[in-house]
Amino acid sequence: MNNEPTVFIVDDDNEVREAIALLMDSVGLPNETFDSAWTYLARFEPARPGCLILDVRMRQMSGLELQERLAEEPIHPPVIIITGHGDVPMAVRAVKNGAVDFIEKPFNDQSLLDAVHRAIEIDAEQRGHALEIASVQERMERLTKREREVLDQIVAGKRNKVIAADLGISQSTVEAHRAKVMEKLEVRSLSELMRAMLMLDPGGA
Amino acid sequence: MLAAPIRQFLHHALLLTAVVATVAPALAAAAAQDRDRDPRDIRIGVLSHRGDARTERAWAPTADYLSDALPSHRFVIVPLRFDAVEAAVADEAVDFLLVNPGVYVGLELRHGVSRIATMRSRSGDSQHNVFGGVIFTRADRNDINSLADLAGKHVMAVAPTSLGGFEMAWAELLHAGVDPHRDLDALRFSESHDAVVTAVLEGQVDAGTVRTGILEDMAAAGQIQLDGFKILNRQSLPDFPLLLSTALYPEWPFSKLSQTSNDLALEVAIALLRMPRDGAAARAGGYAGWTVPLDYQPVHQLLRELRHAPYDQDAPFTLGDALARYWVGVMIGSGVLLVLLALTSRVLQLNKRLSRANTRLERRQQLILDSVAEGIYGVDLKGRATFVNKAMERMTGWRAEELIGNDQHEIIHHTRADGEPHPREECPVLATFRDSVPRFVDEDLFWRRDGSSFPVEYSATPIRDEIGETIGSVVVFRDITERRRAAERISQHEAEQAHVGRLSTLGEMASGIAHELNQPLTAITTNARACVRLIDNNRADMAACANVMTKIAEQAERAGEVIRHIRRFVRKEQPEISPVAVADMFETVLVLLRQDARRANVLLHQQIGAGADRVMAQRTQIEQVLLNLARNAIEAMSDQPRERRVLLVARRCDDAVEIRVVDTGPGLGKVSPEHLFEAFVTTKAQGLGVGLSISTGIVEAHGGRLRVDSTAGIGATFYFSLPYAGAGLDTEPALASLEPTAGISNE
Repeated sequence: MNNEPTVFIVDDDNEVREAIALLMDSVGLPNETFDSAWTYLARFEPARPGCLILDVRMRQMSGLELQERLAEEPIHPPVIIITGHGDVPMAVRAVKNGAVDFIEKPFNDQSLLDAVHRAIEIDAEQRGHALEIASVQERMERLTKREREVLDQIVAGKRNKVIAADLGISQSTVEAHRAKVMEKLEVRSLSELMRAMLMLDPGGA
Repeated sequence: MLAAPIRQFLHHALLLTAVVATVAPALAAAAAQDRDRDPRDIRIGVLSHRGDARTERAWAPTADYLSDALPSHRFVIVPLRFDAVEAAVADEAVDFLLVNPGVYVGLELRHGVSRIATMRSRSGDSQHNVFGGVIFTRADRNDINSLADLAGKHVMAVAPTSLGGFEMAWAELLHAGVDPHRDLDALRFSESHDAVVTAVLEGQVDAGTVRTGILEDMAAAGQIQLDGFKILNRQSLPDFPLLLSTALYPEWPFSKLSQTSNDLALEVAIALLRMPRDGAAARAGGYAGWTVPLDYQPVHQLLRELRHAPYDQDAPFTLGDALARYWVGVMIGSGVLLVLLALTSRVLQLNKRLSRANTRLERRQQLILDSVAEGIYGVDLKGRATFVNKAMERMTGWRAEELIGNDQHEIIHHTRADGEPHPREECPVLATFRDSVPRFVDEDLFWRRDGSSFPVEYSATPIRDEIGETIGSVVVFRDITERRRAAERISQHEAEQAHVGRLSTLGEMASGIAHELNQPLTAITTNARACVRLIDNNRADMAACANVMTKIAEQAERAGEVIRHIRRFVRKEQPEISPVAVADMFETVLVLLRQDARRANVLLHQQIGAGADRVMAQRTQIEQVLLNLARNAIEAMSDQPRERRVLLVARRCDDAVEIRVVDTGPGLGKVSPEHLFEAFVTTKAQGLGVGLSISTGIVEAHGGRLRVDSTAGIGATFYFSLPYAGAGLDTEPALASLEPTAGISNE
């Protein structure tokens, strides 16, 4: 599996699609072309990094629809929307839905390339962050039920004594569980633990 | 009205009644007499003026001759004195009559006696069936040279009732202005012709008159010398050698009574005609046989003139007598006359008024004709003008007197609009009185006196006389120059409306069209930049670059094509109807609508059937119609989740090509098809709703009709026909294909 960032080009106009592909070639960016949203979805691989250049106006499934479908996936390449004349409202919607950029046709080659580079960076970033969360989650899986209960109490900011009273166990048992959690989650301090927990639930705590 | 057979029957019945009523008593009387005589006896009544014995002697041989000729009958002579004749005829006591012409005409008139032969008389060597009178004096009477000289003289005649012996001379004297009863000194009658001659010779009288032949007979007998007499008013007729002073009259007739059988009369007539001139019968009777019956009209005429029997009723009768006798009648007559006079003068008056009214009417007619704005003229069966009105004079510049009586076709209708001569045989005005069928011509050309022409519409109607015979035609025409101009203005207005329609359509499609241009422009710039980068980065290989350049050129052409379509579509001035390839028109629609269809996720196809490749059309207008219909179809499908397709179809139907715009939309819904084509009726939230009404106008201008079929949930089909333009040079038979056209779906 190729893990080099790739530019995925989805446009049902052959000429425009091929021209964009040629532009990507000219700067050495690996690219793949799709003549409709469906073909892209059919060959979608979440793990592949890169970015998506999407024509907003396509038959069968428009760029916006594709964008909405991708939003349901845990991870997908950032989307750059290409719009025609007078499609600004659609572009705005696309941005609200998370598109990283929109470019009006006919576009300047540099601005498209800039957008592509930016998107690839964002993708890389997103992919880094996502990996961290995934590893925290993976480590959370190691905890026993009692350790999970103790962790929740710790995140809630309770002291050992209170936790012991709440759970009906001794204080030393709480301490033993706490050490086990720190060990299993591979954190060295309470602040590291709290950051990992925030990553999982940004709104909580 | 009775049917003819019934009338005939009634007529016969009446006649029969009348005949029975009048004939029955006569038959009874005849039957009474018949008892006394042999039924075979045929009785010939003979006028006896010299005694019955002598008459019997003279005519018995004639009766015997007839008895010999007709053996089944016995002919007998019945001598009748002058005063007995009438009674014998009235009683039918005789079957035939032999009387002098004067007596005969009276009986002819009163009793229907009719002559069957006329006697030929003998006078010396000559024989004649006519006779006259001779008026003479002694040769030495130098004072008497003409009839007029007889006035105041002493004249002798045979007898007052003697035809040849007085009456003929009388008439002649009257003609000469001498009335024998008034102007003569004395008028004496003698017993015989001979006595008259003798009296003149002996100087007892100044002049005398006898029947023709007497003088010659007496001279032959040596009694007189002919040169001793002077004949007055002498007549010389080539066929009549005897001395003669008067007109000639037919001799004695042999006549039958009305009741005598015609068959018998015919046999008798034939026998008489066959009688030898010198036979015993003729010699005894002193005549020379018989000839065919002559006309006795001269005798009637003579007696009428003399007011003699049977014309003696209105004899000398003065106005005074008349008034005295008939004053009532005269009064009534005068009254009637007065009334008639009054009536006549009234009639004359009426007539005068009528003719005045007629003149007024004619003048009013002319006034009416002249006050009408339309030109009116009439032609006779030769095509010559019989009347024209003022409007016609005004419009054509010809004066009425120059037109009337002259051939209209040659003057105002001789040449067609294209400059070709207009043959008489094809002139609708002349054809109208030939077939008596009224005509209306909505476009023709009349010529003015100054050689210019003007467009007209006219009606030509046959003129019929009282009995329905066509005697010409009347033409009512109107100068349609103004109307034509107005029509041109209207069509110009329509063209402008269509143009505005196209502009607004294009305006509504601006974003789609911009996109359609954007695509090739984007491809061009992107390709060009990419190529530059390849070169900059030393990654370029010549073949790849050339390939890219080709693509750039193709895209530029694609953009140019779009612009060409747009420019033609918005051009205000449009070419005339001409042959157009259907594929070209479809392409315009596909190009201009490609982006809109793409955005609305509609698949746009075309399908051109065999033989439907070329039509007669005003290209842009039909494109406008197709564009309108296709756009409507796309918009109609915007809300539906089903498959969205718009199909342009051309299909051959006889001499026409049917163009259809088929969609898979929801159908027309509640709007009725009739309403749909009206302006400002729309099912769409946006838009004026003029598209369909403009489209309807365009299709109708092409001689077609825009129609629609719709099925709810299946789709709607708008269709119309255009004339097929024949096989074109540059159009190949298109494939009957449902494949999307290249450039529409970019798979």
